[in-house]
This record gives sequence, structure tokens and C-alpha cells, in this order.
Amino acid sequence: MSDIAIAALVAGTILVASTISVEVGLSVALIELLLGVIVGNAFHVDVPTWLAFLGSFAGIVLTFQAGAEVDVPQFKREWKASLSIGLVSFFAPFAVVGTVCYYALDWNHRQAEIGGLALSTTSLAVVYAVLVETGLNRELVGKRLMSATFVTDIATVAGLTVLFVKPTLWVIPFVLVSIVLIAGLPLASPWFFERYGDRVIEPEIKLVFASLFLLMWLGGRANSQAVLPAFVLGLVMSNHYVKHRKEQERMRVVAFAFLTPFFFLKGGMSVSASALWANLGILSLLFVAKMVPKFGGVYPLARKYTAPHATFTTLLMSTGLTFGTITSLYGLNAGIIDRTKFSLLIAVVVLSAIVPTAIAQRFFQPRPEAEHEQPGERGVAPMPPAPAREGVGS
Amino acid sequence: MPFERILVAIDGSEASDRAFAKALELADLTNAQLTALAIEGPLPAYAATVGEVDEVKREKDLFFNALALRARQQAEQAGIELAVELRAGHAAEVISDFAAGGGFDLVVLGHRGHFLRDHLLGSTADRVAEHAPCPVMIVR
Repeated sequence: MSDIAIAALVAGTILVASTISVEVGLSVALIELLLGVIVGNAFHVDVPTWLAFLGSFAGIVLTFQAGAEVDVPQFKREWKASLSIGLVSFFAPFAVVGTVCYYALDWNHRQAEIGGLALSTTSLAVVYAVLVETGLNRELVGKRLMSATFVTDIATVAGLTVLFVKPTLWVIPFVLVSIVLIAGLPLASPWFFERYGDRVIEPEIKLVFASLFLLMWLGGRANSQAVLPAFVLGLVMSNHYVKHRKEQERMRVVAFAFLTPFFFLKGGMSVSASALWANLGILSLLFVAKMVPKFGGVYPLARKYTAPHATFTTLLMSTGLTFGTITSLYGLNAGIIDRTKFSLLIAVVVLSAIVPTAIAQRFFQPRPEAEHEQPGERGVAPMPPAPAREGVGS
Repeated sequence: MPFERILVAIDGSEASDRAFAKALELADLTNAQLTALAIEGPLPAYAATVGEVDEVKREKDLFFNALALRARQQAEQAGIELAVELRAGHAAEVISDFAAGGGFDLVVLGHRGHFLRDHLLGSTADRVAEHAPCPVMIVR
């Protein structure tokens, strides 16, 4: 299949994924992943280099956004209670999954580390959606959960950057430029955004993208990964985006419209359905290897810090999606894991996004103390046209 | 007095507009207290980014704030005192729970009609009629 034919197929699939997402209320990323699996296996499409490149950059943009979306003031308030939950949530499955991969599945050392990292994650976005939907994000249990998720996330990106580094002299400029950007961008942003921002040509987005490309290039030369500096760069920019919501919104528009679909679609297209079918036992083993240590490690701490919602907390801390996908794709792109291992890891990541979330919502969801505010209390916007929504009129 | 507390579910669709108009008439006739319940449907499940959740939530908030304002204006024009409540979640479950918790003696809601979904899953109106603790009026 020619490049332009693949581009047309990919663009069409991305469009279909968006419409399905709106119709069924599932996240567009999950649909893109699943459609990627279908397209990749039905059309036997090899991922072209341009798609791999776009997907890699999108992964870094997703990492930057994940950092930028952390509620830093909230984390500062809750870090003591959340630190232990977040660290155990990372290290327990990392150790167990890594051990299972190495000893039981005969993966090599680096493959086992990729497996451990990919399945140790907790999905901030999955947790956030559940909490916001129920209003629990305004309560203590929700705030501690979000902060703990952040701890797990930063442990994952740190692991991905540190574990696989094969130091060269390029590490020095990589570290220096990372520090300069992390220290300098928040300082330069107010002036730069004031001078050049709020234009349709979007210099402020180009500034962020240029910084991320620079980190990717130097990270590559240093035989390392740009995920940690990208995440921290997002983190230090989060306060700026809180003050400039429009900029954050435009950044999201660019990312969701043109970048992240390539990342998730590429991830799905790299999954081998036949490899999954042939390895259902290993798939189950890996799923259990993620869930059991999450429960064994997080539940006792959750009983201390988020009682009486310990089971709910533990289930949500067992979710994973974006960083699990980023880690697995890194392993595949770097030639550390093959397509079968990648397929297994992605399948477990997707299962871990769905299964614990569904159980938590169905059986363990706490009733928020303070129910949602009344609509009129949040200010009133102009009346939009009445949409055909799924809801009470159906 | 036939009804003292009436709950009407609203979502901005034509069907719910018809139900709301009927509820206003009923409240006027029976001098009942009227509460409008607006239900924000679920946020994108299993989201990959906080941004996706935030943007959908923001759109929903804008929409439902406007919907509540419109309902209040219509009620004011009709001379009816209206309380508006906003809840998130699955419509049928939320309406039934809210009706039970609030001691309502009538639930009014619209029926939009989706041939395929109604036959496969049952409509929201069907499910409320089945689970609500009080009479349910389905307005077509």
C-alpha cells in the first residue's frame, strides 16, 4: 500500500473513531486503539516511517500534556498521604510483573523492565473522569487519589528515562538543555506569550513543540528518552496554563486533532490479533500480575488514607492507559520487545483501563458528600442550540 | 390534590421540551411544587487525557447552565416556581433515585424514540417507568 493510500486509510479511521467516540461515550483514544487493531490486522498494513515519527512525537506531546494537567497546588497539599500510595502503586506491580516476565515468561532483562513499567502505571485521565463525573474530585478521597496517581506517573516516566539510558557524552547537553528549558520556559513564557501569543499562527504552541523536538533529538543522541524532561516541562508550565486556559485549549485542539490520533492508531496497528489469540494464557497471567500487587500494595495504605473508600481507591489506582501505551511503544520502537510482547502489553493496558474502572463504578463508587452544584450557581452561558443528546428524552 | 411534588427530567431535546411544557401545565393545574432535573450524561469513559475529560465537561456545563436558565425563564413566564437540580450519570438510574430520595409523586419525561436502541436496550423512559417509586408520565 502506498504512503498516500495509508494516509487516506488512517485519516478515515481517525474520523470514524471520533464519531464513534461521540456516539457511544467512550474516549476517542480507546476507539483509535481498537480501530487501529482492526485496520492493522484486516489490511495487513505495516506502520510507515512517517506514521511512526508522528506517533513518537505525539507520545512526547501527550507526556507534556500529562505534566501540564497536574494540579500542583493540590499535590502540595496532599503529597504526604499520596506519596506512599503512589510509590507502592508503581513499585509493587513493577517488581511483580518484571519478575513474572523474567522468570515465568523467559523475557530478557530489558524486556521484563518494559513489561514492569508498562503495567505499573495508573491512568490519571481514567481516574479523573470517574472523580469529576461523581463530584468526588472536590472531596478528600478524590484529591488524594489524583495526587497519588501523579506520583505513580512520575515514577513511570522517571523509570522509562533512567532504566534504558546508555550514557554517551550527549547525556551532558541533554541534561543541560532539559534544565535550561525546565527553568527557563516558565520564566520566558509570560513575556513570549504576551508578545506573540493569541494569534492564529500560534507561536506559543510552536515554542512548546520546538522545545519538545529539541528534547527528543538530544534524548535520542544520548540514548535516552525525552519523557521525563517533557513531563517535568509540562509540570512547570501547568501554572501558566491554569492562568491561560485559552492557550491550553488551543494546545489540546492541535494535539487531539492532529497528533494523538496517530499515536493511538499506530499503537493499535502494531498489535497482532493472532498473537493475542495464541497467547491468551500469558495475557491473563500478565493481567493478574498487574492487579494482584496493586491490590496487595495499595489496599492497606488506602485503608489508612482514604478509608472508607479503600477498595474504590485501590481499583482506580489499578487503571492504566496512556503511559502504559507510551512505554510499550517505546519498547517496540527501540527493538526491545517484539510485536507479540507489545500486543500482550497493550491488551493488558487496555483491559486495566476498563475492568477495574467498571468494577469501581458499579460496586464501590462512594456517594459524594456535597452533591453537584446547581446549574445556575456556575454562571450562565448563551443558549446553545438544543442538541440531540443521549439522555432523558430518549 | 392529585400531585404535590412533580419531577420533570430535561435534557434540551425536543422531547424533553414537550415534557417540560406538560409539567408546567400540570403544576399550574394542581398547584404542585415543580422540580426540573437536568442530567449530564457520562463523561468519556476510559479517557487517555485529562484534557479530553475537561473539554467535554466544560461543554456540558455550558450547555446545562443555559438549559437551566431557559427552564427558569419559561417557568417564570408561566408563573410557576421552579427548582432546578443538576446530576451526572446514567439518566434512568439518576431519575429513579432522585424521585425516590425527593419524595416525588409524579415523574414527567419525554420519549424521543430510537428504533434500534429502544428495541435492543430499552429506552430511558421504559427504564424509569420500571424503576421509579411513583407514577410516571411519558410525553410523546
